[in-house]
Amino acid sequence: MPDKAFMALKNSGEVVIKIITPLCLVFIVILILNLFLKPSHIAKFLGREAGMKGIFLSMVAGVISIGPVYAWYPLLQELRKKGVDDFFIAVFMGNRAVKPFLLPIMISYFGWGYAVVLTLFTILGSIFVGYTVGSLGKNAVSW
Amino acid sequence: MWQNSYQLKQGTESAHLKIIQESNLKIAISAEGKNLDSRVGQRLGDSQYMLIVDLETGDFEAIPNPRGSGQRAAGIQAVVLAITKEVSIVFTGYCSPNARKYLADNGIEVLTGIVGTVADVLEKYKQGDYQEDEPADAEIETGGFQISRSYLIETIKKSAIQFGNLLPIFASVILLIGLFNSFVSRELLSSFFSGNPILDTLYGAVFGSMLAGNPINSYVIGGELLKNGVGLYAVTSFIVAWVTVGLIQLPVEMAALGKKFALARNAVSFIAAIAIAIVTVFVLNTVRGLVY
Repeated sequence: MPDKAFMALKNSGEVVIKIITPLCLVFIVILILNLFLKPSHIAKFLGREAGMKGIFLSMVAGVISIGPVYAWYPLLQELRKKGVDDFFIAVFMGNRAVKPFLLPIMISYFGWGYAVVLTLFTILGSIFVGYTVGSLGKNAVSW
Repeated sequence: MWQNSYQLKQGTESAHLKIIQESNLKIAISAEGKNLDSRVGQRLGDSQYMLIVDLETGDFEAIPNPRGSGQRAAGIQAVVLAITKEVSIVFTGYCSPNARKYLADNGIEVLTGIVGTVADVLEKYKQGDYQEDEPADAEIETGGFQISRSYLIETIKKSAIQFGNLLPIFASVILLIGLFNSFVSRELLSSFFSGNPILDTLYGAVFGSMLAGNPINSYVIGGELLKNGVGLYAVTSFIVAWVTVGLIQLPVEMAALGKKFALARNAVSFIAAIAIAIVTVFVLNTVRGLVY
């Protein structure tokens, strides 16, 4: 049992090392956004009425975001506070499942047909999740 | 409108200020009276009036500064006034750091140490005298416009605080994930999957929700599960839920993005993972059926 506990710690340690780089990247992104992004921009691009542009932006951002999701929470929190609609946050998070540079690995395990179809439905799924979460936020009584 | 704040800081020795004629460049000036020849108020919260000047039309309105029962209340009133009037810059004698930050968060710049009359201020502004707001700071050139060093340091501090607030919970999440990955072996997982496709898909999503980390691991584990006879529906829901649903990270997500959002997003994503799995495999099977 102590064996496994040690392994667990080691595993955690590896995780920490693995995420330090993405975490630094995220910090830099937060910094840059704080420096240059004003609430009026956010409202224009990702507020409630942002529409297709916003969907596309958050999709792309989700796909290219690296590192574990919890490294991105601080940034998402700030964006949300600045007025980004829940819809886009959810679309971003859902599209993190699509990782172009991991596709080769997925293909080697499951075949390219699978990879293509799964990617497609993951993207569609993220929009569905975004829409649902977004409208829940707008219409629900606070609970 | 945002551009104007930065234009002000773009100081070069031979500068002449071009007033960018944006359609709503309005400024606010603390004042002790309601005319243009009134003296500039020396404390943002404590001045008798706030003059809102529309630089494009030259119109101005004098709004009495509501004096609250205490200094702090008055300050907030003035800040809120500036925000609701959508000014770009506030001119005053002194502004508290909190008020300055609050205004800055709303895209409003504050220039302090302003003395003289309101008319003086307007004249000096038009002549570009207010570019040297922080003359002691080295200007850091960044992609086309310049940011003063103190602003940069302030922003770094602010970003670090936002970041640091979530670190303690990160630590516990990381530890938990390590624990889970070590104690839950592949054999253990396979034994759960009975062969019932509906239940298996559900279990797949459940396990995917509990685990997290690099998606590569989900592919590896998924591959192993496939080898051990677990159906593709279950493996797919497992892979999708791995990334989109996070039970272990849920506390952090709730802390960062709100309880309501986090719970809703995870719940809907869980259902979506199952749906995506079903649809994906179904489509694949149909296509294969057509092709072969």
